[in-house]
Amino acid sequence: MIGYILRRLAQLLPVLLLASVGIWAMVYAIPGGPVGMILGENATPEQIAALRAELGLDRPVIVQYWAWLTNALAGDLGVSLHSRQPVVSLIGERLPATIQLGLAATVVGLLIGIPVAVASALMPGSWLDRALSGWSALALGVPTFWLGILLILLFAVHLRWLPSASGYVPFWESPIEMLRNILLPALTLGIYVSGIFARFLRASLVAELRADYVRTARSKGLPERDVVGRHVMRNAMLPFVTIVGLMMANFIGGTVVTEAVFTYPGLGRLLITAISTRDYPLIQGCILVILVIYILINVMVDVLYAYIDPRIEYA
Amino acid sequence: MSARMAEPVLSVRALEVAFMASGRPVPAVRGIDLDVHANEVLGIVGESGSGKSVTSLAISGLLPPTARVRGSIRLGGVEITEADHETLRRMRGVDVGMVFQDPTTTLNPVFTIGRQLTEGQIAHGRLRADAARARAIELLREVDIPDPAGRVIQYPHQFSGGMRQRAVIAMAMAGHPRLIIADEPTTALDVTVQAQVLSLLARRQAETGAAVILITHDLGVIAEMAHRVAVMYGGRIVESGPVEQIFARPRHPYTVALLRSLPRLDGGAARLEPIPGQPPAPSNLPPGCAFHPRCAVARDRARCRTEEPGLRACGPAHLSACHFVEEVPAPSLPRESDGAQPARPAVRRDSEPLLTVENLQVHFPIKAGILRRRIGWLRAVDGVSLTVHEGETVGLVGESGCGKTTTGRAVMGLVRVTGGRIRFGGRDITALGRGAMRQVRRHMQYVFQDPFASLNPIKSAGEIVAEPLRIHGLYDEMGGAGRIARLFEMVGLSPGMMGRFPHEFSGGQKQRIGIARALALEPRLLILDEPVASLDVSIQAQIINLLQDLQRELRLAYLFIAHDLSVVRHISDRVAVMYLGRIVEESEKQALYATPVHPYTQSLLSAVPVPDPTVRGVRRRIVLEGEIPNPASPPPGCAFHPRCFRASARCSAEAPAFLPYPGLPTRAACHHAGPLIPAPGAKHPQEVA
Amino acid sequence: MRRSRELARRVVARSAAKVSLAWLATLIVLAILAPVLPIDPLAQDLTAELEGPSAAHWFGTDELGRDIMARVIYGARTSLMTAAGAVAIAGAVGVPIGLMAGFFGGWRDAVLMRLIDVLLALPGILLAMAIIAVVGRSQAAALLAVGITGIPSFARITRAQVLSLRKRDFVVAVEALGGSAAYTMFRTVLPNSWSPILVQVVVLSSVAILLEAALAFLGIGIPPPTPSWGEMLRTGKTYLYEAPTYAVLPGLVLTLTILSLDMLGRVMASVLEDRHEIQEPAALQGGRP
Repeated sequence: MIGYILRRLAQLLPVLLLASVGIWAMVYAIPGGPVGMILGENATPEQIAALRAELGLDRPVIVQYWAWLTNALAGDLGVSLHSRQPVVSLIGERLPATIQLGLAATVVGLLIGIPVAVASALMPGSWLDRALSGWSALALGVPTFWLGILLILLFAVHLRWLPSASGYVPFWESPIEMLRNILLPALTLGIYVSGIFARFLRASLVAELRADYVRTARSKGLPERDVVGRHVMRNAMLPFVTIVGLMMANFIGGTVVTEAVFTYPGLGRLLITAISTRDYPLIQGCILVILVIYILINVMVDVLYAYIDPRIEYA
Repeated sequence: MSARMAEPVLSVRALEVAFMASGRPVPAVRGIDLDVHANEVLGIVGESGSGKSVTSLAISGLLPPTARVRGSIRLGGVEITEADHETLRRMRGVDVGMVFQDPTTTLNPVFTIGRQLTEGQIAHGRLRADAARARAIELLREVDIPDPAGRVIQYPHQFSGGMRQRAVIAMAMAGHPRLIIADEPTTALDVTVQAQVLSLLARRQAETGAAVILITHDLGVIAEMAHRVAVMYGGRIVESGPVEQIFARPRHPYTVALLRSLPRLDGGAARLEPIPGQPPAPSNLPPGCAFHPRCAVARDRARCRTEEPGLRACGPAHLSACHFVEEVPAPSLPRESDGAQPARPAVRRDSEPLLTVENLQVHFPIKAGILRRRIGWLRAVDGVSLTVHEGETVGLVGESGCGKTTTGRAVMGLVRVTGGRIRFGGRDITALGRGAMRQVRRHMQYVFQDPFASLNPIKSAGEIVAEPLRIHGLYDEMGGAGRIARLFEMVGLSPGMMGRFPHEFSGGQKQRIGIARALALEPRLLILDEPVASLDVSIQAQIINLLQDLQRELRLAYLFIAHDLSVVRHISDRVAVMYLGRIVEESEKQALYATPVHPYTQSLLSAVPVPDPTVRGVRRRIVLEGEIPNPASPPPGCAFHPRCFRASARCSAEAPAFLPYPGLPTRAACHHAGPLIPAPGAKHPQEVA
Repeated sequence: MRRSRELARRVVARSAAKVSLAWLATLIVLAILAPVLPIDPLAQDLTAELEGPSAAHWFGTDELGRDIMARVIYGARTSLMTAAGAVAIAGAVGVPIGLMAGFFGGWRDAVLMRLIDVLLALPGILLAMAIIAVVGRSQAAALLAVGITGIPSFARITRAQVLSLRKRDFVVAVEALGGSAAYTMFRTVLPNSWSPILVQVVVLSSVAILLEAALAFLGIGIPPPTPSWGEMLRTGKTYLYEAPTYAVLPGLVLTLTILSLDMLGRVMASVLEDRHEIQEPAALQGGRP
């Protein structure tokens, strides 16, 4: 098992390395390079030369990359050009907020998506199926930033039940405050993923219901609730686990638009601010952290899948 | 048959099943009557669309909700057509057990075999959960699965195909049902494994006294297993009766035609008599008797065209649905040498062969891990030698995975050859470059098994046949559109069909297009890879006859690759038998089928079900143990030794050479080659019937 | 090309597709005709700021008194052109990559697909943001960012289709006939791959419009004063209390467009699937390999 995890990680190493080169090279691609980034456009040649030496830009490119990479691996992602604070601590402040939002959205998505998928898969072609498929299409098609605005208009502007801007309140500090703050953003994202969950799970349920083993199970005289609830569900859930995992991975950083709608203090808004203020060390740090977490979740999903599917042997 | 006196286990009356398709009902079953008694095997035989599978689903109450059922199905005193879901559920697994066709998909991949064996009985409250394991082991032991205690906790993917089907049979029998419905139970299995499963089914049926409905398209399986037979066509039973009478004196023109169209292991070399046309689709049934457009007796008489004949008695317990029963001819079988086959020029073996394959090896790397490192070799073809002369047909026969298709593809240059030499037309083509191989391919063409998959769906039939000419830049040179039209006529298609697309043709017609394409460049050799395996029985004969006619007219040489020993026997001059990447025996057709000397050939031939119930119990049958080993790790020495009834210590140590067998035109690779001992009183248990 | 016309006919026959096509056609016509229509997206009227819908301004006015409907129609130009350009970029790069990787396999496949994996190592919107962070905020940057983000899906769809075709007998048949690699690839494999690629064009147009709007909403898309739906939502959001329709109506137009494209893509996919079902031979019985 551990060997399998290590092999999966090793498989992703080239991708991680290539991507890290891309992230590192970002600052070299911008006009003026890293020096222009720090000094602006009106620097004197002396200033530039001094900074180049200080930053080690006169060293070979490989050496520079290696230095950057080893620093990053040691947890040193540089200092924000604006706040002059270490990038790592800035990210560390925002990451919990993003994770909490991602988890809440996943819960909402599952609570809506699974019942919708099961109900429509059991009666394919019925009016209920069509209505629920319509719901999934809406959930997927309505842009989250518009849906978020509509929710704010209804619950904050019109009904005044919930705040229009959401702050980060850790669950363990005040569950009720946390819910008040996270409800609208979680609902916005959750409705969207519920569309993905419902559509995917319905498709795999319908496919599994047509499989030969379902006929075999029925021919043994199993009650229909066992045929569907055990035989079909178990098979349909295997690929579904992957989709849920992928969506959770997507929520690390992928919540950026929703965070902007609700001015929620997550990683995404940190990145947006960094891009608008051209704070390159912070941009690099955010993207690197998101990338690593994204890939790690992907590996975890693979491992989980191999664990629950008896057909995959990790020998 | 004393069983006939008692109340039947199952009684079907005037059963009709229709499905709704684009708003109108399509009849799949159109009024059938059936009785099945305890201790009896009823065989239902028919081609695709005949309604045989729908009938079985109706009896078990497993039809989809879109089906409309009328008539009566009484099983153990319960009317199934009126029963509610709960009643039906309680009957399944208790009164009826089912065995389905494809054992790779009938088991749930994510549950253990043991759980699937017993969960039905637990759900019925007939087995306590804590006794399930022991019961599952017992069930596996009853179907001869070795190491049942270890196997019971395994998953379906850890079982081989034959073992899976045994498990399915164990599952169907777990509740001691009075009726077992087996729908094409061996169609997906290799012939030696089919023999195992059929004898298991027969043994378990005799032990339990259950009534069995056996549904198949294979008349050989019917002759081997059934006591009574119902022949279905166009959603109706057209003939039913005791198995001996159905085969000896069939009384419906369709049954007669079916028997005549069949290439047989025990038949002569006479030309097959195909049934013209193709089986009707349920949505498009002809009026009157559904068989009349293809019938030799109807002769377009008005009564056949307008009036649907009912089943009438034509002998003791023998019914036929034909207006003109008395005109139905006897099948006149077997026809040893009718001379009906037009003469064809003798094959000259003194000159250099057209195709020579010497010690051909094709090994595929097995890759695994992150870096896709090679962890071993799959020896798909491991030392095959054969020759094909001008105008000759060489049959290459073997079970799935034996390497016969890979051999064909390697000759064609479609897979990379690992070792050995291939000579064609006097020239070494083993390692030719793309350009040179292109020239060779003009003279050597390939016909695929699946006529649907081998035709480009977005090209018209005319474009498909013209494609080889265009690729080689010979379209105008070889006669353009006129040439294409002639090719269509040559394979029995109307040139007017040139503008149609592949999906508008039937299976047999598609295969004709594939053959026309292969003939376009006027090749000298055709490699035919299972060209009739995916076709209905009545269509197979049409294609076989076409191939024989073309060979005679064009002096073609054929390398005919197939798993069906009867078809190979019918069409070939010489036959090579493959096992696990090697040819184990090769000879003239007569010698090979009459006096096989390799134990594998002998068991293969004895395993083929023959459509003749009179030889049941008389014909000697060698049931091989086990299944074909994984070609990635073949057994040491002779690859066949673990399953061989003659194996000695030498066989596991030393691979036999491929040597001529004295006194016969045969070469065989066996340390103990020799004909079967003629006396049936042989001591070795596996050499007895 | 009888077949593609037949497919088009069957797509249009579905009522869902009719509604979608009608909406998209209206939008496209308005976007093309925008310059000759009596509307001006930039004309300011500081006496009529943040007004609700009225006879003079059907969608109301924005914070500078500009007509929101005029800006929505011009925004359609931005959206549709960005989507078309981005899909063209993604297809022009992604389809050949997928074709090469799938057809030749081996190391070429491994290298090309690892490159695609790198693009997929971030959620799409973050990849687009990273590209804009490097290139700077401009119309070209938005186009490039959205286009590059779409490359992996074209490459993967094409590769999957090519891989499944490679194993099909009719492709092997062309090789057996002596067809060259180029002939097999361009005359046999590619013509059989268009349907899924076409579906992907529709699906990706929707993704591209959404992504462009999202970038504008985040304030890093096409810079003002070019009218853009996402930018209007961004500004409209700050006036939710004063003029709720400001954000709602452009968002509605955007949503209807996305829904129409999604619907069209799904109808196309299901029509293609049906066709396959009809073509597959009835597998009630038959031989085995």
